[in-house]
Amino acid sequence: MRTQSVTTGRNRLQEWFFRPVPLARVGLLRLAVYAFVIVDVLGLHTAGWYHAYADPIWYEPLVGGSLLHLPPATLLLVQVLKWGAVFSALAALTGRWPRVTGWAVALTWSWYQYVAFSYGKVDHDRADFVLALALLPTVGLAHVKDTRLSEAAGFALRSVQLAAIATYFLSAVAKLRFGGPEWVNSATLVRAVVRRGDPFGRLFLQVPEVLHAGQWFIMGAELLSWTIFLLPERWRRLMVLGWYLFHATVYATITIAFWPHLVMMLAFLPLEQYRDRLLAWWRARRAPADDGVVAESG
Amino acid sequence: MRTDDNRTSSSDPTPLRLGVASRSWRLVVLALIAVLCLTGSLVGDDPWWPFGPWRMFSTSTPPTSAVTAMAIEVQTTANPSWHLERLNPWSVGLNRAEVEGRVVQIMRRPSMLGTLAISHSQLIPDAPAWNAVRLVRQETIIVDRKPTGEVRSIQLAVWRAP
Repeated sequence: MRTQSVTTGRNRLQEWFFRPVPLARVGLLRLAVYAFVIVDVLGLHTAGWYHAYADPIWYEPLVGGSLLHLPPATLLLVQVLKWGAVFSALAALTGRWPRVTGWAVALTWSWYQYVAFSYGKVDHDRADFVLALALLPTVGLAHVKDTRLSEAAGFALRSVQLAAIATYFLSAVAKLRFGGPEWVNSATLVRAVVRRGDPFGRLFLQVPEVLHAGQWFIMGAELLSWTIFLLPERWRRLMVLGWYLFHATVYATITIAFWPHLVMMLAFLPLEQYRDRLLAWWRARRAPADDGVVAESG
Repeated sequence: MRTDDNRTSSSDPTPLRLGVASRSWRLVVLALIAVLCLTGSLVGDDPWWPFGPWRMFSTSTPPTSAVTAMAIEVQTTANPSWHLERLNPWSVGLNRAEVEGRVVQIMRRPSMLGTLAISHSQLIPDAPAWNAVRLVRQETIIVDRKPTGEVRSIQLAVWRAP
C-alpha cells in the first residue's frame, strides 16, 4: 500500500515536471530570450566591455573563474564574447540548429557576464537567466507555429519558471541571512533611494513610512512567491502581472530593472495564445479597411 | 488540481514523450543546480556566481544612521580645485559599487586611483587629463528614516600624478 502511494507520488511529480506544452510556446520564448541577449549585450549591460579598460589590478576572479583559470578582461576577449553572443543569438533566432546555437549563446553570454562581475560587483538578477539559456536548447527544434505538445518543452519551461520563482524566494532567504529578521524594520529602501533614487523615488523620502511598509510587502511576497504554482491559471497570470507591476515600481523609484528576470517570467504565459489573439485582432482590424478599399475601388 | 492551461489548436493531441533516460538526466541536472543554488544561498557569497546568494538589498540599515556612497574627485590643469567626476564604466571602466568593494585595498595602495586616470584617458581621450584623484565617502545622515539634509564628505585616499 505504502509502495503504491510512493509510486503515485513519484508519478505525480514527474507529471508536474514534464507536463506537455506546445512547442510553439518554447519557440516564442526563445525569440524573446535571444532577442533580449542582443539588446542586453549591445545596450543594456555593457560593463563587461568597459572592464577591458580597467587595470587588471581590479580583477577579482570569482570561484568559477579561479577553477577554470579565466583571465582578466582584454579588449580582444570582450570583443570576442560580445560579438560571439550577438551573432550566435542572431543564429539562434532563426530556429535552426537550436542546440548548437543555443549553447553558443549560453557560453558567450555567461562568460561576458562573468567578465562584468569579476571586478568586485555581482548583479544578482542574472544568474537565473544562465539556467534559461542552458535549458532552452534541450528542447530541440521548436517552431513558433508547431502546436504539438512536448514533454521536453514542458520540462524546460517548468525549469525556467522554478528558477524565476527561486530568485524571489532565495532573495528573502538572503535578507534573513545577511540582514536578519530586523530587515523588515530597517531603512534599507531609504538607503537605496538615497543612493540611487531618481526625482520620483526621492518623493518617498518625505513619507518614509511607505518605504517601511514596502519592506514588509517585499519580504511577504518573496517568502510566499512559491504559491504561484498552486494557483489556478487565471490567478497565476494575475500574479505574474503583479510581479511585473512591482518591478515597474522599483524601476521608477531607483532605476534598477532586473531585465533578464523579466524575460524569464514570460515562461508562465501562454505566449502562442497571446500571439494568435494579437494576430486575430490585427486581421479583424485590417479587414474592414480592406473591405473599404475594395468598395471604393469597386 | 490541474492548474496549467494547455489548450492548443493541435490536430495531433498525442504529446511528444520523453524516454526514461531523457527524463532522468534532465531531473539529475535540475537537482544538481538546485543543490548548488541552495548551498550558495545558505553558505556561499558573491564569488559563487551564478550560484551565490541573491543578496541585492539584503543588509539592514539602521533607521537612524549614515547612508554612505563613494565618489571620486579630481584635479586637472584647467581646473586645479577638487571637483566631482563620474564613477561609472563609461568614464573609468568601473562602476561605483566595484570601487566601493575595494576601499580597504585603495586606502592601502592609493596608486590604484591612478589606474582610473589612465582608464579615463583611454575611454575619453579628448577630456582633460586628471592630475590627481581622491576617493571620498559621502555620508547622508538619516534620522528615523528621514534625511536631515546633512551630508558629510570624508577623504579616504589621494593619488597625485608623478
